[in-house]
Amino acid sequence: MNDTDLKYLWQTGNDQIAFSQKLEKTSLDKLTKKNVSHFLSSMKPIKLFTLLVGLLWVFGIGYVLIKLTINAYDQVSHYFLYSAYFQVALTAMAVILYIIQISTLYNIDFNKPVVILQKTLLKLKASTLNVTRILILQLPFWTTFYWNESMFKNGTLPLFVLQGAVTISFTYLAIWLFFHLKFENADKWWFKLLLQGKEWEPLITSIDILNDMEEEVVSTKD
Amino acid sequence: MANHNLHQTFHEIIEQHKGLLFKVVRTYCENEEDRQDLIQEIRIQIWKSLPKYNANFAMTTWLYRISINVSISYYRKNSIRHQYAKAETLPTVTDAFPNDLQEKFNLLEKFIAELNEMDKALIMLYLEDKSYIEISEIMGISISNVGTKMGRIKEKLKKRFLNHKEN
Repeated sequence: MNDTDLKYLWQTGNDQIAFSQKLEKTSLDKLTKKNVSHFLSSMKPIKLFTLLVGLLWVFGIGYVLIKLTINAYDQVSHYFLYSAYFQVALTAMAVILYIIQISTLYNIDFNKPVVILQKTLLKLKASTLNVTRILILQLPFWTTFYWNESMFKNGTLPLFVLQGAVTISFTYLAIWLFFHLKFENADKWWFKLLLQGKEWEPLITSIDILNDMEEEVVSTKD
Repeated sequence: MANHNLHQTFHEIIEQHKGLLFKVVRTYCENEEDRQDLIQEIRIQIWKSLPKYNANFAMTTWLYRISINVSISYYRKNSIRHQYAKAETLPTVTDAFPNDLQEKFNLLEKFIAELNEMDKALIMLYLEDKSYIEISEIMGISISNVGTKMGRIKEKLKKRFLNHKEN
């Protein structure tokens, strides 16, 4: 079958279909309402919930930490204070990424060329990975906030060994995951464990499509 | 543009180009319910994008961009690809269509359905007799890349027809 045959087949077939197709007459008002509900329903509830919790956490704990720093810096454990600061700072970074994601979602421009827009949409979904990577960096700070000076003065060797092992392994795990949580490792069990559920399917689809699009995007840059 | 004029323009565009919308939707959706949903999604985006329409682009280029962008996003969201993969046959065209052509057309649709999202759009535009320049503008890829991709897709389709014939 040559090119002309293919085109003829396509045109003739579609001409026949055109006669039998009906366009549902829906008013613009109804369409717009439908669109809003569709958009809101497609927003993952977990993402909005996480954003809300994240904002409360950052502002609530952040406020307490600043108050403690100003009013009781010498009375609180510095291990606690700095661990909490790092933890809140990393959460704040994740919250900012969430806000950017949601804002981008509301401003998607369907006028753009297909490859460009689709790449933006895929990047949006893929940024879920970056949020996870940032949040994982919090791991070591959950093992240091309860440290205090008395622990170091009065602690026993087994305590130091245990504490050291926990902190070093959490630090190693956090750094390792930060660098390995990439699309290339999407088929690994630990990746699936971290990103299973509703966030998982779009990511897997994104990987397929990114692979399909790779050469187009490279070519666009030329 | 006044709101009344915008409404009128919108309805005229939809009426005048509904064939284009149906073709895009048919390429990405198997069942009628999904198609109607997708058509509505596309209409919403056309309505929203209308004030930003740039008259430097041909109306069809603009419409293809929107309808393909929406279709790919919709298709991805609803995992229609998986439904397609399972589908043995696709809905057929009307009885008035000669039998041999009908069978070939259904095969063509089936083989296109097996392509990835980007390739579907490319071959559809090609079969719609769009030039490589137009395809390049719609898709946002270089003309040479359109040529390369198109060669591969056509080869793939021809092989599928040949294999089907042999079997």
